[in-house]
Amino acid sequence: MLGLREAGVYYALALLVAVLTVLTAALGRPSYLSPVNLVNILYQTAPVAIMGVAMTVVLITGNFDLSVASVAALAAAVNILVIDHVGFWPAMMLSLATAGALGLLNGAMVELVGINAFIVTLGTLTASRGLVLVVTNGRSLMVGTPAALTAMTGFESGRTAGLPLPILYMTGFTLAVWLVLHFTTVGRRIYAVGGNPEAARLAGINVRGYKLGAFVLSGLAAGFAGVLYASRFGAMNPTALQGEELTVIAAAILGGTSLFGGAGSVLKTVAGALVLYTLTNGFNVLNLGANYQGLIEGTVLIAAAAIYTVGGRRRAPRGEPSAPPPGAPHVHQAQSQPAVL
Amino acid sequence: MPSATQPLLFLEHLAKIYPNGTAALRGVDLAVRTGTVHGLLGANGAGKSTLIRILCGATSASGGTMLWRGQAVRWSNPADARAAGIATLHQQIPLVATLSVLENVFLAQAGWARRGRDAPARLARLMDSIGYHLPRDVPVGTLAIGERQMVGILQALAADARLIVMDEPTASLAAPERQIVHRAIRRLAAEGRAVLLVTHYLDEVLALTDALTVLRDGAAVLSAATAAVDEGALAAAIAGRQVHRTARQAVRAEARVVADIVGLHSPGCLAPCTFSVRAGEVLGIAGFLGSGRSELLHAIFGADRSARGEVRVHGRSVPHSPIAAVRAGIALVPEDRAAQALFPALPLWQNVTLAHLARFSRWGMFPRARLEREAAGDAVRRLEIKTRDLDAGVGDLSGGNAQKVSIARWLCGPTRLLLLDEPTAGIDVGAKAEILDQMRALTATGVAVILVDSELKLLLQEADRILVMREGAIVAERTATGTGEEELIRLAAGAAPGGGETRQVHTQ
Repeated sequence: MLGLREAGVYYALALLVAVLTVLTAALGRPSYLSPVNLVNILYQTAPVAIMGVAMTVVLITGNFDLSVASVAALAAAVNILVIDHVGFWPAMMLSLATAGALGLLNGAMVELVGINAFIVTLGTLTASRGLVLVVTNGRSLMVGTPAALTAMTGFESGRTAGLPLPILYMTGFTLAVWLVLHFTTVGRRIYAVGGNPEAARLAGINVRGYKLGAFVLSGLAAGFAGVLYASRFGAMNPTALQGEELTVIAAAILGGTSLFGGAGSVLKTVAGALVLYTLTNGFNVLNLGANYQGLIEGTVLIAAAAIYTVGGRRRAPRGEPSAPPPGAPHVHQAQSQPAVL
Repeated sequence: MPSATQPLLFLEHLAKIYPNGTAALRGVDLAVRTGTVHGLLGANGAGKSTLIRILCGATSASGGTMLWRGQAVRWSNPADARAAGIATLHQQIPLVATLSVLENVFLAQAGWARRGRDAPARLARLMDSIGYHLPRDVPVGTLAIGERQMVGILQALAADARLIVMDEPTASLAAPERQIVHRAIRRLAAEGRAVLLVTHYLDEVLALTDALTVLRDGAAVLSAATAAVDEGALAAAIAGRQVHRTARQAVRAEARVVADIVGLHSPGCLAPCTFSVRAGEVLGIAGFLGSGRSELLHAIFGADRSARGEVRVHGRSVPHSPIAAVRAGIALVPEDRAAQALFPALPLWQNVTLAHLARFSRWGMFPRARLEREAAGDAVRRLEIKTRDLDAGVGDLSGGNAQKVSIARWLCGPTRLLLLDEPTAGIDVGAKAEILDQMRALTATGVAVILVDSELKLLLQEADRILVMREGAIVAERTATGTGEEELIRLAAGAAPGGGETRQVHTQ
């Protein structure tokens, strides 16, 4: 039996599913636990979970990326703009390259110039969204050729083993990142870099490299989410995914990732994303009306953070390999990074 | 009014047993009288910190009584203790880095104005009275560690406390700064206040205090008037055994040169330095706070990005970066363990193996926990690190044990040149001897050591040669056998002995 703080997000998810199951049964609505509904939740969660996993890595290294949703929208726009001319895979590469380049830009501004990550990525959030408006001229974009549309549908709506492909993409990416974080020297160093950057530097770890790499990973994940979005609808309007970065960050925080760096788990982030989408789905299934949704989600987020913070005080880390305790803000000595305001 | 014979503070059978059964204090008696300096000594983990935490209201005792001016008291939070007249100067002084010296000194003062009109004048009087001057409008974050210590002392003075508890106030200070702190302590006692001084420096205790108490394993093992004890008796009481340091074997002159430092400099903090270190040699660096000792070590290690010049290990030039330095076998044990060496979120064993992780990994990529634990277990035994188990968080370790973890990190790789920056600051005599023994054991295997330590006696005892630094430059070189403390102080202080009391603000 794991403690509330170590596994709180899993308990929350289980509790939420149980409550919704009982409610749907009691109200005589279609069963919540039906495979169709569960698959639907997983499918809806996939893009946010993919961005959330990369966001978790950025947070572990002690940084922050607000730009993911705008970068995803830009990648989607690039994808739809070029796919008719170059075909599906080259278009995907261009989208990923664009998003990866923005991640690199974020990382370079933060690590090489020394500007605070919050400010840099707030800038790229705004600028990327602006770029979306520029390239779309403020109008909706649509894929023109049937061939491209077919390829997109195959990529996004196809099924393997009965599961929609985005669920597999999410699972594969999460597992890959989890394995790297837990079983490689790279993962160990990522936790060290976020836990105490100066000590990591003096232990001969390439601190800048790891922090920059996390931003690039975040950019690439956002690019992939953008391609998924474009492929789902074969079209997009310029405000697509607006505000979604907050859902991504909320998922990571629900999963107990520390905003101070050095702690976090990608599996819990995925669970956090599932909690958020289960709530959304539950509102739909119970027909409760969307008006209460934001209020409930916000409350859940703060309650989770409160549990992590209060539960995390005065607790020594125990030796789960490569898995430092998440959640509680580990306050560190003044970071050498100058904040430029 | 308390009578003259009644102690200001009287602790009777004070105990602190944590809910998990750990006994930090097992019934300590302690009496501190008005107008005296009382020394509190003990090894790391002996219970000093717990006692201080109880005194300042950060935690409460689980048994025994605390009499303050004759009244039984029990603080429920630090504000109670402060209001009653107990000021505590913690080892890590909680100052606000972005506020000025003036604002920090009067931080706890009542009133709505951010800065009282008479504050500058009051600050000037306080600084006059201890003979130490700092620019009042400089942000505390830009001050060196010793200067921050002085701000903490000024803060305690400003609070007008009856009892000032000082936890290791001179741990990271060089001789002139220590003198200033000593003067401030004497003045406080002369004014009719009491000082409870926690320190590892035995000479300091003997010179400054009127009475003393030694804690060991949560109990007071020695309570005496200072005049009645000597250094040997104190060391034995602290360690629970006799601590012997034997003279070390001098390095042979024909030993191979391990590292050449050629024209290494850094704009603004380090003048060009050229010297070499031989296998098995301990090269001591003497100098006051801000003389460039740490800067030199950081430049050698490649941690100073603006440093220029050449560092050669076994004749091969090492690029300026910590990554290249570690690869070349250079190791740095930095001055500030918490901020520069340890990872509180990682368990002990991962802290030990981090710098040479690839050696414990399959194909250099996949760490093997079993090998890592073996290596960490070896280090724990070899350095006598006192810890619950290998999974303990390093944040829980006492100063000496944390320092040993920081050193252990470099024992599990091919270290050729070990840079030690104040390795024994704030560490008790027993752990200190163990760390120095370890350093000697390393030199016996051919490792070269560059040792920065504010304690000149220790440098003279452990080093073969000593370089003296002043204002970022190496100003003299002496063999340890051919010099003494007085000469080193004179060299480090430069043309004006006794100078350095009004210090320049040291900025990074």
